[in-house]
Amino acid sequence: MTIAAIQQHGPLLRRLATRVVAGIAVLWAAATAAFLALHAMPGNVADILAGDNTYPGLRESLERQWGLDKPILVQYAEFLGRLAHGDLGTSYTMRQPVTSVIGPQVMPTVELAVAAGVLAVVASVLAAVLTAGRPRLRAFSSTVELVGSSVPVFWVGIVLLMIFSFKLKLFPVAGAGSVAALVLPAITLALPTAGVLSQVLRDAMERTLDQPFVTTVRARGVSEATMRVRHALKHALLPVLSLAGWLVGSLLGGAVITESVFSRPGLGSVTLNAVTTKDMPVVLAVVLIAAFVYVVVSTLVDVLHLSIDPRLRTA
Amino acid sequence: MVTFAFGRAARALSAAVLAAGLAGCAQIDAPATVDDTATPVHGGHLTWGVTTEPTCFDPRRTTQTNGYMLERNYIDSLVSKEPDGGFGPWLAKSWTVSADGTVYTFRLRDDVAFTDGTKFDAAAVKANLDDVVAPKNAENSATYLQSYAGASVVSPDTVRVRLKHPDSSFLESLSSVQLGMLSPKSLKLGDALCGGGKSLSGTGPFEFGSYQRGQSVTLVRNPDYDWAPTWAQHQGPAYLDSVTIRFLPEDVVRSGALSSGQVDVIEGVQSTDVSAFKGQPGFQFLDGPSSNTAFTLNLNYTRGVLKDIRVRRAIRDGFDLDTAVKSLYLGHYDRAWSNIGPDDAESDKELVGAWGDDVAKANAELDAAGWTGRDSDGYRTKDGKRLRVEVGYPEDYVRDHRDVLIQGIQAELKKNVGIDLDLKIITIGEFTSQETNGTWSIYPNTMNPGDTALMETQLIGPTGFLYQAIKKGNDQTLYSWMARSLQTKDRAERERLVDQIQQRAVDRAYIVPLYAPTSQLAATTLVHGLGFDPNLDTPASAYDFWKERS
Repeated sequence: MTIAAIQQHGPLLRRLATRVVAGIAVLWAAATAAFLALHAMPGNVADILAGDNTYPGLRESLERQWGLDKPILVQYAEFLGRLAHGDLGTSYTMRQPVTSVIGPQVMPTVELAVAAGVLAVVASVLAAVLTAGRPRLRAFSSTVELVGSSVPVFWVGIVLLMIFSFKLKLFPVAGAGSVAALVLPAITLALPTAGVLSQVLRDAMERTLDQPFVTTVRARGVSEATMRVRHALKHALLPVLSLAGWLVGSLLGGAVITESVFSRPGLGSVTLNAVTTKDMPVVLAVVLIAAFVYVVVSTLVDVLHLSIDPRLRTA
Repeated sequence: MVTFAFGRAARALSAAVLAAGLAGCAQIDAPATVDDTATPVHGGHLTWGVTTEPTCFDPRRTTQTNGYMLERNYIDSLVSKEPDGGFGPWLAKSWTVSADGTVYTFRLRDDVAFTDGTKFDAAAVKANLDDVVAPKNAENSATYLQSYAGASVVSPDTVRVRLKHPDSSFLESLSSVQLGMLSPKSLKLGDALCGGGKSLSGTGPFEFGSYQRGQSVTLVRNPDYDWAPTWAQHQGPAYLDSVTIRFLPEDVVRSGALSSGQVDVIEGVQSTDVSAFKGQPGFQFLDGPSSNTAFTLNLNYTRGVLKDIRVRRAIRDGFDLDTAVKSLYLGHYDRAWSNIGPDDAESDKELVGAWGDDVAKANAELDAAGWTGRDSDGYRTKDGKRLRVEVGYPEDYVRDHRDVLIQGIQAELKKNVGIDLDLKIITIGEFTSQETNGTWSIYPNTMNPGDTALMETQLIGPTGFLYQAIKKGNDQTLYSWMARSLQTKDRAERERLVDQIQQRAVDRAYIVPLYAPTSQLAATTLVHGLGFDPNLDTPASAYDFWKERS
């Protein structure tokens, strides 16, 4: 690499290095916060594991088995040590390595979240492009969005199931593995997200359409469609992009409920069980995965910001 | 936690909507009526929708009762519990008990093999029992083997088990799936057995096929199976080639999956959905027995205002339980009289009609106890303190609208006698910390199935999870009866003691039994051989199930 090249790429590499270090710090902080929160929750893990069928000695055996008899600082140090070696530990209730419990659950959740995310983005872009600045369409779309973003995910899922699965038998009731099984859950999960996204997007587009440059572009004789898609939409994407973090959060959170309604495999049901039974290793692994996704997404958003908004490149 | 609370509301709402939708579906799907004496069909595949996905597929390492009907498909037991309460042969052909009740000698069948090819013999029995009690394994099932002293292999088909003291619950415990027999090869895998798979090998009519977490388990027929217990409806291998068990935790989804033909059988039908299947063409509905513990309020009689028997009795008698249960469950469940289910042979029949719904007496008791003031909300007070008792109900155990039942009782007690019964939905963690400190007030629960004397001891006895931390104010009379009921070899004496325990617990209002839950099955009429296990109240397994070709 020539000196010129290093000078050219230096800031970018430095920026990247900073990002990676900050990302690791976020993961550590998330894991630590979750570790402390779980320890602060009431109830002794060994008692929970022993359940109703307890007998003298069971609790002690369980504590020895999981190292719960050690001081909390030692448990924390051991946890970090294992983590550094890529070992997420063993689930207390499922008594299996967390990686083998969670590993197969990641893909179904990713499939669902991505499908719903794409659906939400496509639907909101369409809605915004078609209805921005058009009062009648706007009123209709806005009502649909309000309903979509305020009805509970659970209820939407059940209604969709009753109509399209139980009654019309177009889609299977539950499960994963086929595209057909993904349709209803993806729509269910996409609906509230799409509702919020299209409202934000349309607002931004309408603000853009009021800008003086729009008049200039129109004066050049550009068609309305080109105007909206190539110019207004591009400007409106910025505020939407800033919502990416929220989008990921709402998709992951909504996935928990959606997965349980549709009895889909995924991180959702595993997480629910793990939290209520204080299954520490599983909860910590899920927290780490979620934090990792956030870090990756926010990095991507930064990069995208650069490519969309030229003003940021020189800054 | 917020999502849960909302989820329940949504469920109630959607159930009502669904009922209308389902009725229509049932009409469309109706096949011709089926003759129940039809010859069983061999082969085929069946899909069974169940409520609960086991967190662990090794029944020794879990207390999830709802998983046992799944686990029974691949695990057999040494002895079987007969519907009449006696015990019959299963993997053991016969047994003898020493005069002092501490040595059991089992003669084993010599034609049994585990699905991994290992032969079932005396060494396998010893390996299983030793595995359960080994402290390093921390198995929940060891609670049933607290009297176990050791086993010795007399010959390949004879095993001798020594107990530390006589144990009237020993055979019952051996008959449970929690002490079922696994291949010695499987035992070596330890905690890995929780994950299921072919390596979880028993002698059952099915073999564990595949598992997709959060979705389903597939079981494959064991073609060599020829050792069914006597209570089974047939002998020889299972009828079905394979069974897929689908985990459908949402009531509405389970019902919808059956009504739309996506599953053949479902277990757990909520009261509002029963009418969609019961008597509907193309469907059948079966209501199971109730021989395990009733849904019961346990009152901590050692603490706070509940120390006063008059307060406890006022809670017990201050509301109309019959009406509460009937209106909530639409007549599908019966109110309970004892904490032992009415279909258990040892449930005390003298308690029937003997208590409850006496508002005048309840008020008199509270007046006598000095709770004579009233605050602005209408609750009774004493020395300016409101008569308030907390019911801590762990979130995860709330099902079947049991929280709604307690809310109904709460309203009645307020109106009738001025008691503030404060229902709090808490986490399991919060409950276990109350349990460890002995600070719980009222705990609503049902108990895992098991021997009656053992159940009472585990519920309200000295070694049970509720009272083990409480060392002051316990009812020693009750405890001494429990100890005797567990040790006696005289069946008549045992029955008398178990009756006395139930009577005392109700009379002194340590417990307020509420209703007798049953397990329900709904299925298409193409499915036959459905039934319930006398031990579990749920279906035993899919062994007797068969399906007509449509």
